[in-house]
Amino acid sequence: MLKRPSAHAGPGASVVFPAAAHPLWLCGFRPFFLFTALSGALLVLLWGAFLGHGAPLPAVVGGPFVWHAHELIFGFGLAAVAGFALTAVPEFTGSAAVAPRPVRRLAALWLLGRAAFWLSGWLGTPALALSAAAHLALLGGLIALLAPPLWADPERRQLAFLWGLLALAGVVAGFYTDALRGESPARWLHAALGVLMVLIVVAMSRISMRIVNSAIEERGDSVEYRARPPKRTLAIVCIALYTAVEFFAPGARIGGWLALAAAAALCHLQSDWHVGRALWRRWPLMLFGVYVLMAAGYGVIGLALLTGGEGFSAGRHLLTVGALGLNVYAVLNIAGRAHAGHPLDERRWLPAGAALIAAAALLRAASALPGAPAAALMGAAALCWTLPFAAYAWVMWPLLTRPRADGRAGCAGPAEEPSA
Amino acid sequence: MNLLRAWLGGIPAYLWSGWGAVASLFLLFAAWEGASAVYGALILPDPATVFATLAGLIESGAAWPELAVTARRALTGLALAIAAGSVLGMLAGVSLTASMMARPLVTVLLGTPPIAWLVLAMLWFGASDGTPVFTVFVACFPVIFVGALQGTRTLDSHLKDMAAVFRLPARMKLFDLYLPHVVSYLFPAWITALGTAWKVVVMAELLSSADGVGAALAVSRSHLDTAATLAWISAVVGSLLAVEYLLLEPIKRELERWRQNER
Repeated sequence: MLKRPSAHAGPGASVVFPAAAHPLWLCGFRPFFLFTALSGALLVLLWGAFLGHGAPLPAVVGGPFVWHAHELIFGFGLAAVAGFALTAVPEFTGSAAVAPRPVRRLAALWLLGRAAFWLSGWLGTPALALSAAAHLALLGGLIALLAPPLWADPERRQLAFLWGLLALAGVVAGFYTDALRGESPARWLHAALGVLMVLIVVAMSRISMRIVNSAIEERGDSVEYRARPPKRTLAIVCIALYTAVEFFAPGARIGGWLALAAAAALCHLQSDWHVGRALWRRWPLMLFGVYVLMAAGYGVIGLALLTGGEGFSAGRHLLTVGALGLNVYAVLNIAGRAHAGHPLDERRWLPAGAALIAAAALLRAASALPGAPAAALMGAAALCWTLPFAAYAWVMWPLLTRPRADGRAGCAGPAEEPSA
Repeated sequence: MNLLRAWLGGIPAYLWSGWGAVASLFLLFAAWEGASAVYGALILPDPATVFATLAGLIESGAAWPELAVTARRALTGLALAIAAGSVLGMLAGVSLTASMMARPLVTVLLGTPPIAWLVLAMLWFGASDGTPVFTVFVACFPVIFVGALQGTRTLDSHLKDMAAVFRLPARMKLFDLYLPHVVSYLFPAWITALGTAWKVVVMAELLSSADGVGAALAVSRSHLDTAATLAWISAVVGSLLAVEYLLLEPIKRELERWRQNER
């Protein structure tokens, strides 16, 4: 994803939009990756304060759990998806980068969505309706901006992103339909998590080809990594089936078998990654960890559903904290730097942050097991999660809010990257 | 030594590739669970119940003796068929006349349903072990015979000529020329025959024996015990899957590697 300089790149590109002079609007990922990191840290801090000390949360329909899941999926997750899609789709399809003006509008919609949803408990239905409109307009805007290049691509190889965005728009619409009717909208959040998992598998196949192969090249190994479509499709089908069954028949044992099938398919997918020592370098390992945690999450969910035992929540959080968190962190660090014109960050804080997120997933999962000291583990998990995202915001703030140092415009990759 | 290391090193990758199969099996179980929810436990018990029944059978010690009896019969019949089928098939392949003659006979053997052989076997051997063993033999023999026949017939005649020109010793001709080629035809035939043997022996036992998995199936059927029936079926299918993917498939890959290297 770092390879091709976008068509937008050029000396005069930033002059075309004088109103959008601030470098934050240079490329779609800049505001959205900042939103992602800041909201990731802040939302979990608030949640930890609520769980540990009873600090008040915004009252929303469905209660604190819906607030927690809604914000982390439709706030944190959606910001990451928006930032990634706005940057990656023009690059993958070789089309022009998204202009600053729509980026600013989408960012405003994201903020409006946060404010409206948080106030929906006090202001009632109008705020909830406004939040619905903001979220749908954000997704609708993304689709309107990205569907033409996705569709115009001669081979239409990136259409999966379009279906993913449409599916996300569908679950957002479902969520707010239920919420406005006064019903518990939680099932839509679970469906949204399934959509995000599928999107991760799709996006990872694109990112990993480059990351893993460059790690192999650096080592001078003779193997080649290829993300094979059939294995990926099997995993996607299993995840989609599980998500559908969970939606229509939550807690059913058939969902347990499907979750185990998804776990096995994800393990199968991992066999592409068995490329020898190159896998143990930080970037491939981080992405590989996403699949390991995702497989573990679906495996735990499957076992919990089949045995009727505890642990469902542990599996769910391996997916959210583990797979989603680690993947977002990796993408933030890979795409966020490359498209701001910097080489990948090879300092130590970065893998330490990834390890903390993985630890957060395991701690959060352990806290759901019977007999575990839940409060202490959850507190530790919240801390482990907050630190890396706060550190990212701290480190990347200057890079994302200032002009590119290499003098290139828009979303183009770093100058020393060999361009295709 | 290096070869051995490479081979051992390939084992984890092979085992890991089994996750794809595991995923499809889980999808099958999900469909089974769904069908069971629709039709009710009497018609189709759900997989968890069936596996619990199977675990109970294994724990109580009831499963292994029956499986052992069934395996003995299946393997005896299969061994006889492999011995006779391979030798006769290769002999028939060497002579054009013999292979011409053998074709219709094989068609007759293949065309006769195993159940017909079973009836004959019951008349000839009664309730003894002979009935399932013979049925298995007759069902497997033509498959192996055809494999051996084709393996021998498709030998490259240029290679044969070359071996004659270079006056290869008979031993070398057999082990380096004929056997690798023939085995690549024979081995898949043996695997197919193993599957056939395993299925046919259960059928033969169901109708003719007082012990073995087939007999246990007959008992559970008469008790209308669908869960036990499915438990026995899973035991049979599971053991066949295990033998095929853990034992035979790796050997087959090893034997057929020379073909891929050629390309």
